[in-house]
Amino acid sequence: MISGHTYVDRTLYWVRFVLVSAFGILMLVPILWMLSTSLKPLAQVFQLPIQWIPRPPEWSNYPAAWNQFPFGRYFVNSVIVSVAVTVLNVVLAGFAGYSLAKYRYVGQRVLFLAILCTLMLPIEVLMVPTFLIVKELGWLNTYQGLIVPVAADAFGVFLMRQFMLHLPDSLIEAARIDGAGELGTYFRIVVPLVWPAVFTLGLFVWRETWDSFVWPFIIISDDSLRTVPIGLQRFQEQYVTTYNQVMAISTVAMIPLVLLFFFFQRAFIQGIALSGLKE
Amino acid sequence: MARPPVRANGLPLGLRDSAGVDARPFTARPAAAPRRRRGLGTLLRSAEARRQLWGYAFLAPMLLLLLVFKFLPMVQAFYLSLTSYDLLSAPRFVGLSNYTALLRDPLFHQSVGATAYFVFGTCVPLWILSLLLALVFNTALPARNVLRLIYFLPAIMPVVVYATVWRFLFHPYGLLNVGLHAIGLPAVDWLGDRRATMPGFILSAEWRFVPYFMIVYLAGLQNIPQEYYEAAAIDGASGLQRFRAITLPLLRPTGLLVIVVSLILMSKVFTNVLIISGGGPDGATRVLSLFIYQTGFQFFKMGLASAASIFLLLGMMVFTLMQLRLFRDGGHD
Repeated sequence: MISGHTYVDRTLYWVRFVLVSAFGILMLVPILWMLSTSLKPLAQVFQLPIQWIPRPPEWSNYPAAWNQFPFGRYFVNSVIVSVAVTVLNVVLAGFAGYSLAKYRYVGQRVLFLAILCTLMLPIEVLMVPTFLIVKELGWLNTYQGLIVPVAADAFGVFLMRQFMLHLPDSLIEAARIDGAGELGTYFRIVVPLVWPAVFTLGLFVWRETWDSFVWPFIIISDDSLRTVPIGLQRFQEQYVTTYNQVMAISTVAMIPLVLLFFFFQRAFIQGIALSGLKE
Repeated sequence: MARPPVRANGLPLGLRDSAGVDARPFTARPAAAPRRRRGLGTLLRSAEARRQLWGYAFLAPMLLLLLVFKFLPMVQAFYLSLTSYDLLSAPRFVGLSNYTALLRDPLFHQSVGATAYFVFGTCVPLWILSLLLALVFNTALPARNVLRLIYFLPAIMPVVVYATVWRFLFHPYGLLNVGLHAIGLPAVDWLGDRRATMPGFILSAEWRFVPYFMIVYLAGLQNIPQEYYEAAAIDGASGLQRFRAITLPLLRPTGLLVIVVSLILMSKVFTNVLIISGGGPDGATRVLSLFIYQTGFQFFKMGLASAASIFLLLGMMVFTLMQLRLFRDGGHD
């Protein structure tokens, strides 16, 4: 941006700032209301004028809400499922992407196009048949039911292939001549070179799985296998009028993502920009 | 001005930025693909065969997963859509009667209408607002990083939290009505009045997705080299001229991407509708994915639900083919 320090430019600069801040506060208000409600006694929730900073803050809403449902258990389940899906998907997508980028074999092009086509089949479209298949496998209410079908996603394959296409063949050839073997070449030469892509993909898959609702909602009825999103949905359904506790548990559910966002802002934003390729 | 040599292929920030990748159209083969050397002796040829096998081996695990959990379900969706199946007795072949039933079903019509209302009602303002916001954020701005962080919060919060908070906002005494009252407007029965519920949903979707697509636009904007603007400024082009001659054409691939992705994203909306309104009042917000869910898992009409999914699939396929075309055309639009 080239800005001569003219009067008009400076005015525009501040007008923009005021507009963006005002709009930003508007964006923030629902979240602030959630936070402040989570610290109010129930009687004050709809009191006017709105008390944005409750005095004294009712911290007890948090343990009260947390103890209504086995949220600790849901949290552990979410961690298990999201980590397992991420590892499984990223590892297999890496293999498949490598195969499509750096090998030549019969039927490769057809296979690649077929894999690409699966991108247009989200779970919202296939929920009935996928449910029936998982039921047939006896995987309803199991961890593998929560993990394996979700790990079957071609987005990572597409992404890894794009990154690996640009690795020089000579590097891989050199490793082979040094007797590294195919697996050794992959893990010792290729993976370190595409590590940033692996990391971004991993964060992206993790976030999507951590947040996923539809699939666990359909196949899990056993309370000990529920994940955080399902637990939260059931909690707000059952205790719908205990607004302060519902908002407290919502705040808690938001914390892991917000923390992760603060630590990995760049990769996170890349992930969102990348998701343009998915959905 | 000569056409700038940009890799304007619509791939956002991450792909190019972190690894310096020039992502090619997916159909292209790598330029330096080694040609198969046949007739170099048995040794080489068996090495070649072994390499091919490794190629298959690396692909196989993911391929197997996709076969079982993507291709098989798709085939089964088609098959089930031709049957009557309630999970208890075996599926019974009924021909196309599920489809004709749906085409005559007023509830299905309502559902298609609700989906179209939501998708287009959300997407059109979304395209404009997210572009405007990205343009503002791409300029010099005090405290830009803090502001950007604030704007990102709605986009990164978990979907269930987002839905829960908005359900609370829609409460008769909730913040939305408090706000309306403050500016002298009457209260709205957001979840009870069938004319108000969908606009409420659209409002909530803008809140979450304007920042989301702003990020995508920002990535596109940041890929436009500053030199073009500088050169144009030296040539005496005004701000508006620079916008029309540089920003708009170079942002076109990103814009197309945003359009297609948002259409797909909105047409599969499910979680927030389920949580906030459950499809009500009177089915006014029963979008297609919710229709499928209720038909299949509440009324156990798996055949009818599958037929409805085929309709949703067709809609998404149109959008996705548009998207794939974009990637193929990217770079030389």
